[in-house]
Amino acid sequence: MDGQAQQRLMATYRDAWRSRGIVAWLVSIGIVAVYVTLYFTDVLDPPAAAIGLESKWFLYSFVYSAAMIAGAWSFLRRHGNSRYQRVRTYVNVGVQVLLGFCVPFAMKLAGQKDFYLSYFWPLKIDYLFPTTLRSLPVYLVLYAMLGSLVAVPLLTIYFGKRWYCSWVCGCGALANTIGDPWRHLSSKSTAAWRLENVTVYAVLALAVSTTAVVAGNQFLGPGHGAFSHFASQLQHYYFLVVASVLAGVVGTGLYPILGTRVWCRYFCPMAALLGLVQKLGRFRIAVKPDMCISCGNCSTYCEMGIDVRSYAQSNQSFTRASCVGCGMCAHVCPRGVLRLENRWPIQGDKKQQSLPVVDF
Amino acid sequence: MRIVIVGNGVAGMEAALGVRAREPRWSITIVSEESDHFFSRTALMYVLAGQMSHRDIEPLERDLYARARFDRVRARATGVDVNARVVELAGDTIPYDRLLVASGSRPRSAAWKGAHLRGVGHFVTLQDLEWLEHEVHGGPSCGGRPPRPDAHETPIAHGSPYRRRQVAAEARRRTARSALVIGGGLIGIEAVESLLAAGLTVHLWVRDEWFWPLAIDRREGAWIAEALRSHGVEVRYGDEVEELLGGDDGNVRGARSTQGAEIAVDVVVIAIGVVPNTEWLAASAIERDRGGGILVDAGLRTSAPDVLAAGDCASVPWPGGGHRPEQLWYTARDQGRVAARRLLGDEATYARGIFYNSAKLVDIEYTAVGQLASGRDGAADWLFEERGRVRSSTRIAVRNGHVAGFSLLGRRWDHSVLGRWIAERRSLAWVLDHLTEAGWDSELVPPLVVPPELRVTR
Ligand SMILES: Cc1cc2nc3c(=O)[nH]c(=O)nc-3n(C[C@H](O)[C@H](O)[C@H](O)COP(=O)(O)OP(=O)(O)OC[C@H]3O[C@@H](n4cnc5c(N)ncnc54)[C@H](O)[C@@H]3O)c2cc1C
Ligand code: SF4
Repeated sequence: MDGQAQQRLMATYRDAWRSRGIVAWLVSIGIVAVYVTLYFTDVLDPPAAAIGLESKWFLYSFVYSAAMIAGAWSFLRRHGNSRYQRVRTYVNVGVQVLLGFCVPFAMKLAGQKDFYLSYFWPLKIDYLFPTTLRSLPVYLVLYAMLGSLVAVPLLTIYFGKRWYCSWVCGCGALANTIGDPWRHLSSKSTAAWRLENVTVYAVLALAVSTTAVVAGNQFLGPGHGAFSHFASQLQHYYFLVVASVLAGVVGTGLYPILGTRVWCRYFCPMAALLGLVQKLGRFRIAVKPDMCISCGNCSTYCEMGIDVRSYAQSNQSFTRASCVGCGMCAHVCPRGVLRLENRWPIQGDKKQQSLPVVDF
Repeated sequence: MRIVIVGNGVAGMEAALGVRAREPRWSITIVSEESDHFFSRTALMYVLAGQMSHRDIEPLERDLYARARFDRVRARATGVDVNARVVELAGDTIPYDRLLVASGSRPRSAAWKGAHLRGVGHFVTLQDLEWLEHEVHGGPSCGGRPPRPDAHETPIAHGSPYRRRQVAAEARRRTARSALVIGGGLIGIEAVESLLAAGLTVHLWVRDEWFWPLAIDRREGAWIAEALRSHGVEVRYGDEVEELLGGDDGNVRGARSTQGAEIAVDVVVIAIGVVPNTEWLAASAIERDRGGGILVDAGLRTSAPDVLAAGDCASVPWPGGGHRPEQLWYTARDQGRVAARRLLGDEATYARGIFYNSAKLVDIEYTAVGQLASGRDGAADWLFEERGRVRSSTRIAVRNGHVAGFSLLGRRWDHSVLGRWIAERRSLAWVLDHLTEAGWDSELVPPLVVPPELRVTR
């Protein structure tokens, strides 16, 4: 398609704003400021009202979609020479504009409570709270329950978590469009990998227990003084810390410094859960034997900080829990070593060893 | 046991890791003139272009030397005294019980007038990379800085491939706007690409009639030339440099060809091949072949006791007789692994398999497996040029009724499957029937369909 795409990708580090220069820090501070304003003040309500939107949240959705579309354009200028990246981007942005903006907006206009069809528990833990479920029409209750507990894990078994994280999810869509210029900044160090394993599963544990406590409390009904208080505090702090600070302020605000997908990699409970399911499923990154030249493009451009090169150099096809299947490693590999695959392991496949780090 | 390894390229590093994995207590000393850390030479172009940083092309974390207890000596080895069993450095010696020489390649130099002008250089070492970064960008890219400012400074002995070159851009007070790359091989085309990405006007001069006739046939070469030209490269085939022209300031200012073409350029990259980097062994009692390669047997042993050689610098035995170096990443890695076992005292031999390689020629993916017509037009080979949603070219060489080689452009292939078919001496008809099984294209790429009229019957 675009003969210049490769040249544009090649110039990545040449720009200070893409390599932690001052501009990058300013952009980061800017995004953080926007999220702080959005979550912790009402400053954005009047401008939203002025353009006919009901609340700052619709304004946010609108800006989000616009940023995604602009980012998708620039993404395709860099990676549009790959068919997989093209199709994936069209689908992901399409899903978000439709299910993340148009449908909820239409529901609101129709006087219903808005509902985001592209989000599931545990990314939105409140979608399994009894109060939420009771407020929804039956078909949405079924959608939320069956979606979260059956369809999402099942699809992940068959296609890996990429079907969600890289083709549907709004956070992923933002990261892979407007966040794409910073994907190479994700840390590939063993230290970052250890940290991520602690934080992401901690948030998952928190999401599960918060859901359980809040649901328990709502079942029990009012009148369980201390427990009710604890449940409402837990719920409050979960939304404050996880949904606002970790997802927005830190998880998106630090893209220009820590690489895109900060939220997905270090904090997202959905990514953590689907990662565990992915380990049991069909998805894997296949390595063509003995062709890797260890150049490291795959690791550099892995937004999840996976050291793909270490697997490729050791001829090791692999499935990592954190892999969102964006397909970028396969796309940037100049020797065509890597391929994303959905297939059950067959006899003769080498069993995956643990991370081939050099340890003594 | 004292193990000494000269070179921390892929061959040297594989050997060091292999020894350490089994012998936690042996002393392992790595001598390297070029760099503090092991890095992927194959990725130099990506740093020059700006696609990767210096750090990104280091496959191992920097604390590896400490964790693996490798003693690092950052110096130039100047010889080996095989009787005293010491590696000589300038003013120092390192004793060894077993020695591995893995000193890699150096660029082949050119004898043209003007080849020593400021602004003329190669693209093989880290120092070449830094020189070019200064010529075209005025310094390392943002985020692309080396570990410390003097990390690749070497106290240079004259004639070392790792010496820092003078930068013409500094004398000129502006970075280069145009470049000439000389040589139609893989390093040349990588230099072209990274210079293009840096926004320069690039000329490519190739002595042969088309790009890389050693592996590519005329029709394939035409496609590559087309791709290069569509990116704005001024390609000149079948012509040679007569002289590189200098200005009064000592900078290169242009080049003239034997056919009389004359161009003005700010920087010249000579990429006419590499030779074993072994002249530092000239006075040592280690046998080398005429090209400088260290002669080894299948066990990678040199003529001197307990001295091994691996990687680009080693001339290994070839099946048809004779010795030649293999200058590839995977062969250096495999030889490094064999060397590790030899250093450990095992019996191990290095066996060459069916040749394969892959590359990206501008934006065309390329895979080669087996034996292809070298130096001649592959007109007799089976060829299919696909034009449609995917542009590709598939060329299959047939010898004595069975398939002997593949040259594949525009799609990804699993070379291990193709290599197996060659070993199994499959017929062309059989291979065409099974071709898709060797496909390695990404998902969503439509598979290759060979039109019926190009099928052959058994
Ligand atoms: C630009 C470029 C692109 C390439 N692309 C590809 C590719 O796509 N595919 C492929 O298969 N191959 C490619 N190659 C070839 C590949 O990089 C080499 O085959 C491989 O790196 C050889 O490894 P080595 O360990 O033998 O030597 P090297 O990596 O060259 O290492 C040599 C080491 O020896 C040390 N040394 C040398 N002399 C001395 C001395 N006198 N004293 C102390 N230390 C010394 C140096 O410090 C260095 O650490 C490419 C090469 C270049 C230059
Ligand atoms: S990008 Fe490809 S060749 Fe480079 S390190 Fe990764 S798998 Fe190996």
